[in-house]
Amino acid sequence: MDIAFLIESAVKVLIVFGFVLIGVPLIVWMERKVIGHMQDRIGPQRVGPFGLLQTIADGIKLFFKEDLIPAQADRAVFILAPALPVITAFLALSVIPFGDTVEVFGRQVPLQVTDVNIAVLWILATTSMGVYGIVLGGWASNSKYPLLGGLRSSAQMISYELAQGISLVSVILMTGTLSLASIVKQQQTLWFIVPQFFAFVIYILCGIAETNRAPFDLAEAETELVAGFHTEFSSMKFALYFLAEYANMMVVSGIAISVFFGGWQGPFLPPVVWFLIKLSLFLFFYVWLRATFPRLRYDQLMAFGWKVLLPASLLNLTVTAVVVALSGAR
Amino acid sequence: MTEAVLFALFSVSAIVFAFNVVFRKNPVHCALFLVCVLLSLSGMFILLNAAFIAAIQILIYAGAIMVLFLFVVMLLNVKGETPLLTPGAAKGFGFFFAVIAFAELLWTVLTRGGAEGTPEQAVALPPGFGSPAEIGRVLYTTWLFPFEVTSILLLVAVIGAVVLAKRKFL
Amino acid sequence: MREIFVPLEAYQVVAAVLFTIGLIGVLVRRSALIIFMSIELMLNAVNLSFVAFSKFHGQMDGQIFVFFVMSVAAAEVAVGLAILVAIFRNRETAHVDHVNLLKG
Repeated sequence: MDIAFLIESAVKVLIVFGFVLIGVPLIVWMERKVIGHMQDRIGPQRVGPFGLLQTIADGIKLFFKEDLIPAQADRAVFILAPALPVITAFLALSVIPFGDTVEVFGRQVPLQVTDVNIAVLWILATTSMGVYGIVLGGWASNSKYPLLGGLRSSAQMISYELAQGISLVSVILMTGTLSLASIVKQQQTLWFIVPQFFAFVIYILCGIAETNRAPFDLAEAETELVAGFHTEFSSMKFALYFLAEYANMMVVSGIAISVFFGGWQGPFLPPVVWFLIKLSLFLFFYVWLRATFPRLRYDQLMAFGWKVLLPASLLNLTVTAVVVALSGAR
Repeated sequence: MTEAVLFALFSVSAIVFAFNVVFRKNPVHCALFLVCVLLSLSGMFILLNAAFIAAIQILIYAGAIMVLFLFVVMLLNVKGETPLLTPGAAKGFGFFFAVIAFAELLWTVLTRGGAEGTPEQAVALPPGFGSPAEIGRVLYTTWLFPFEVTSILLLVAVIGAVVLAKRKFL
Repeated sequence: MREIFVPLEAYQVVAAVLFTIGLIGVLVRRSALIIFMSIELMLNAVNLSFVAFSKFHGQMDGQIFVFFVMSVAAAEVAVGLAILVAIFRNRETAHVDHVNLLKG
């Protein structure tokens, strides 16, 4: 535990933290612009060049709003609940490799906050803890619509966690390791999207459902249940939920990139730039889905998760297991 | 050194949170404190070279079982009971027996109950100890039969839970 | 820095304390849900004890046992909460003393 290691880790933590805090306004701006153009309108254009500062302006507006806590609400839980999804999103981001090992001041520094050897399990564990932010937010508001929205949303999240985990396990069968850095390195010749295409499709659908994004966003859509679990939250608490949603989008995209798309690997450009390019493409895909599809009704959503994705992921796992065992590859 | 500091931190927090689980009125608060106990224990498992078990503890215990608890609390709208503890002499008996049980446990632990097998210091651990590969290797060779039985047990539990919680009896 | 070694007894004492707190919860609280949570606390204390023994003997069997304890705990919680929900629907209470129809 020498000082250099501590400084290196602290710097990496600050970089990831800063990246998320700067990246989320950019993602929000991109979403509004892209959805605007897809709907044949322009989107934000007044605040700053091309409306880039719109999200900052929204953040300042949210900061100055009155921070209401409902009278009968459970105060401690009400204040704690918005912090939980943000914490879990950052914990999951800590194991995603965003670049190759660089040489800094004579030390080899891997561009990943920490490389645990159970990284995939850690990510599954932290995303499963993300349910608490939603369910506690719905409960602590002490109000009908948030409670219903919170329960629905958390039921959706725990239903899609299973298929997500099993689809990742199919890839683990091929790699033999749970460490994300090793999984990225093993994709030097062939990205895992090619042999595990179905696992990728299942994973990305579950990822969209996990982050409560369209078309799986019934629990928080404005036209349903008022605004779902975050109805009663105002000012910075709402901003934290908002931040958490986009940070979770980055987590899901980061994992999909690392596990299926070769991580930071790519010709000519430096690794970090490739990671950012792939991340941007995934986030664009998220926004594209939101602009294109109508949302699923709740029973359709749950039926899809349990009756379609879970059997599909199990089938994929079985086929992968049989192929790996027969080919004797490992 | 770091191990001792982390051990002290995790164990004190686990015990403090455990007291809060038992002695709080609001069931949602009790459930949340139990989640904190589970997270502290997960930290201790990492100190004990049980990486897979630590991750599974968060994933299953804190992430699924306690969510189930919270769902039931919220759906049934269970309020804290008044008075908080058992009224009357039963409370005294409860504490008394618990103290006796604790004394017995302490005696067993500190004198090793006369057993000879436990080594003084930790043995040198093989490199993959506690990793998923090692767990998988032992689970599917030595402990295969309990594993299969557990899977049937979980199937039975799922069916049982669905049947018991239905509104009309099948 | 001087290496302070954490002995096995330390982990076992912590496990014993957690177990006793859970035991107090089961004996003294009257809400079925809290009793259930105290049982989970006792199971976790036992898990800690097993994992500590597993490390100090250098064998994986303790951790495998913890794995099974966790899956059995999951099954037990599912069924137990289903029973609790069924009782609650009929009796409108989760208080253990009020579920006394068979009392003589």
